[in-house]
Amino acid sequence: MIVIDKLCYQSGLRYVNASEKFLYAVLTLAMCIISRSILTAAAVFSVNVFLTVTKGGTPFGRYLKLLLVPAAFLLMSTAVLVINISGTPLDAFAVPLGKCYLTGSVSSVKEGLTLCGKAFGAVSCLYFLSLTTVMTDILGVMKKLHVPGLVIELMMLIYRFIFLLMETASAITVSQNSRLGNKDYRTRIRSFGSMGSALLVRSIKRSSVLYNAMEARCYDGEIRVLSEERPAKWKEILCIAGYECILLGTVIWSWL
Amino acid sequence: MTKRETILLKASIAFAILFAVAPTVNAMHIMEGYLPAGYCVAWGIICLPFLVAGFISLNKKINASRRNLTLIAMSGAFIFVISSLKIPSVTGSCSHMTGTGLGAILFGPAAVSVLGIIVLIFQALLLAHGGITTLGANTFSMAVMGPVMAFAVYKLCGKMNMNRKVSVFLAALSGDFFTYCVTSVQLALAYPSEVGGTAASAVKFLGVFAPTQIPLAVIEGILTVVIVIGLETYAVPELKNIGFLREKEVR
Repeated sequence: MIVIDKLCYQSGLRYVNASEKFLYAVLTLAMCIISRSILTAAAVFSVNVFLTVTKGGTPFGRYLKLLLVPAAFLLMSTAVLVINISGTPLDAFAVPLGKCYLTGSVSSVKEGLTLCGKAFGAVSCLYFLSLTTVMTDILGVMKKLHVPGLVIELMMLIYRFIFLLMETASAITVSQNSRLGNKDYRTRIRSFGSMGSALLVRSIKRSSVLYNAMEARCYDGEIRVLSEERPAKWKEILCIAGYECILLGTVIWSWL
Repeated sequence: MTKRETILLKASIAFAILFAVAPTVNAMHIMEGYLPAGYCVAWGIICLPFLVAGFISLNKKINASRRNLTLIAMSGAFIFVISSLKIPSVTGSCSHMTGTGLGAILFGPAAVSVLGIIVLIFQALLLAHGGITTLGANTFSMAVMGPVMAFAVYKLCGKMNMNRKVSVFLAALSGDFFTYCVTSVQLALAYPSEVGGTAASAVKFLGVFAPTQIPLAVIEGILTVVIVIGLETYAVPELKNIGFLREKEVR
């Protein structure tokens, strides 16, 4: 139902130690953001694509499609950065528009391109994490980072409930469609609204039933799940450390 | 359908036709890696007091009755699911609600701040909307400012004895609209324009996202009203349970 969730359960890197993957993704992300050079971003992007697609076995077509998810935002915001409306033309380009110019400077075009590169580098880090690490493992890492127990508990329950509710929602939508609930815009709005309210009512009822079930199984404020600890391998840690050092080098170089 | 609902629907159709050319529309998440490091940290710190307040209020609710835990978790999942579903749009383009306005009206802004950040983490990791570095900025605009605005408008309309449907519509609309304004300002602060500085940049960001975000806000308002109508018709006991309706308000 959720593509990324499905893909990460099939990933070849799924059983690598989760803390290691988390640390790698976050460190690389930080390097990518701090760096001023597009070189860092390019290195980060290519290594992440290699790890996720070649090592992890995520289908490349799917990966490309996922990369297009933030494309609309990226295009619009970068256009805003690059294009100015001004009375005097700037050095890179200028389109006359009545009295004003749609114009941009060389430095802003450069900045815009670097930003796009950095954004894609950063997105590849996010995708590495979400396409190789299952949510329960990420929650395990957060527990080690001393995120409050209540938040972890809530996240675990919410993660479970998301799928329950999505299933209900899609069942309701199918039955609405089969009863012409989607025939024009007006019915579509009404169908969506009634689906939303039915969903909320069902989820409230379900939550109380679920609590009864949990209490019947001796729930005392903590859900204990068996998490299999997979030890980190020295080789992998050394590889990550070496890679981060190289990245740090390019970051320092870009700041000089 | 009552007469008022018919009018509402007709208005929504008129609006949708006006803006039929909207491309892919997501609620305005700032994408991963789009903000400079300093801003990522700063927005995260600004969110902290709101999150702590939300956490304390949730803790109180759960200590009052453990049963609330599953209810709160279900509400969080509901916000996620409602924001991940495609909402009807004329062109068949893909647009989503934010769901936080509805959440703020039903569960209050304090609870929504914590639920909002959890939902944003799931959206980043499961749907690739938003990101980890921009989590602070997105939390501030979507899980803090939007819901607070929606809740304030809802309460204000209630004080002025306005029709509940009108006030729900205005609350959801203004929550969505305010989120979009805050996000534009966040982007403008990080990237001031070469000509005219931050203010000019803010105007540009507002302008570029207006054609997609304003109709989205209107549709979100209408859908929220339709959902609340449905709830008031079928779910009075449940609404009382989550504190949305009080005894005196039930006819």
